[in-house]
Amino acid sequence: MENYPFSENSINSSIAFRSLVNATSYPGRTFQINKLNKPSVLSNAAATILITLCDNESNVYLSKEYNTDEVRNWLIFNTGAIISNKKNADFVIGTWKSLLPLNDFKIGVPEYPERSATLIIEETKYKKVKCNIDGPGIKNKLNIDLPNPELFIENNNLYPLGLDFYFTNDLEILSIPRSTKINIIKSEF
Amino acid sequence: MNEMSKNENLDIQIYNFAYLDENTKRMIRRALLKALCIPGYQVPFSSREMPMPYGWGTGGIQVTSACLIPKDILKVIDQGADDTTNAVSIRKFFQKTANVAVTEKTSDASLIQTRHRIPETKLKEKQILVYQVPIPEPLRFLEPRETETRKMHALSEYGLMYVKLYEDIAKHGHIETAYAYPVKTNGNYVTDPSPIPKFDNPKMNNSPAIQLFGAGREQRIYAIPPYTNVKSLDFEDYPFEAMKANFKCSICGSSDSYLDEIIVSDDGKRSYICSDTDYCKEQTKLNSKKED
Repeated sequence: MENYPFSENSINSSIAFRSLVNATSYPGRTFQINKLNKPSVLSNAAATILITLCDNESNVYLSKEYNTDEVRNWLIFNTGAIISNKKNADFVIGTWKSLLPLNDFKIGVPEYPERSATLIIEETKYKKVKCNIDGPGIKNKLNIDLPNPELFIENNNLYPLGLDFYFTNDLEILSIPRSTKINIIKSEF
Repeated sequence: MNEMSKNENLDIQIYNFAYLDENTKRMIRRALLKALCIPGYQVPFSSREMPMPYGWGTGGIQVTSACLIPKDILKVIDQGADDTTNAVSIRKFFQKTANVAVTEKTSDASLIQTRHRIPETKLKEKQILVYQVPIPEPLRFLEPRETETRKMHALSEYGLMYVKLYEDIAKHGHIETAYAYPVKTNGNYVTDPSPIPKFDNPKMNNSPAIQLFGAGREQRIYAIPPYTNVKSLDFEDYPFEAMKANFKCSICGSSDSYLDEIIVSDDGKRSYICSDTDYCKEQTKLNSKKED
């Protein structure tokens, strides 16, 4: 049993999902995720999202760093997910740089805006730009650092279509859904 | 198996935590997160048959089941009351299948499932309010075809809804719709607030709590994230008005809570009491403290 991602699957996936609900409901705020058994290259937070949400109907795109035997075997064995290309992916995992350009991912269609990709951005070693965010789930405007904020602004302009982002860092998760409006405070040159 | 198996209560052992199986929960959970990302948009989901008839909150129960954690304190209300059949049976259902703590106090609850009311007590951050929804499509009675209403939402083509409200004014001199009063969520989708009285509509706007909607028979899930603009549709010259019966509660004396009308004698004598039983109890307590 020790090798299963969650020790008590039903209980721990419910707790993990509550963190995802909170993160998605309150964009720009950091929420905590618990540890689980996962491939070493994946963060706990990213692995939690995949294990909690993916099943045999989910197309998952793994960027180069994550497309390893260990990750693929773990994901397929535990969820039955389908490893897919960029275009069909429901869930996408990778570092920020490896996922650019974002144009290849599906943004939904006007009748079905939910048929869009969820991007999980691993590691935080991207060039940071100070931004101010506002929108649903944000009480008072929040200051956060984002990579290439112009891409998030572009994404928000597509609303109600667009991509939904989770930033994951070890045990932490932060969401920027398509509904979040972004203002650049100052660019770092 | 989970902790449940250690429990000697055989009733509990035969269910997965919170009744639904993990695959179903995953499907609902994906729908819920997309719903939160697109406030007010109805996400289709493959609704399951639940051990109760449609119209008894099968949608709400599936959302609650997918969200519940062991630490939760659950409150269930039906028209504001904790002690009516629907509320009692759903509360018992989750006590049995999820072994969660329950409460009648709005402020103590971490997850509230509701049929047709929003509690009077202000909700807090991270509290989850799950609505039971009979007809999630606000345009359904105006346009029966799903393909058409879907297109109307995609094009933000809501003229028909305004015509309906206008016809109310032309016929009755005011907007007659008193419950399930349509709202616009985040300036985009026209959304059905479920059949809550329009008195409750303003509570949806900018609420710190997470509002989730489940329609079991119609197979739709939608959400209003916290701090989201929710505007009841109206006209400049006929602004939206939240209204209630102009009386005081005959138990607690409150004049600011939503009232139920009850007939108390054979000759039709009427009395008004708070629809929110928890609020009424709290007010009664406050009053007796004041008297002391």
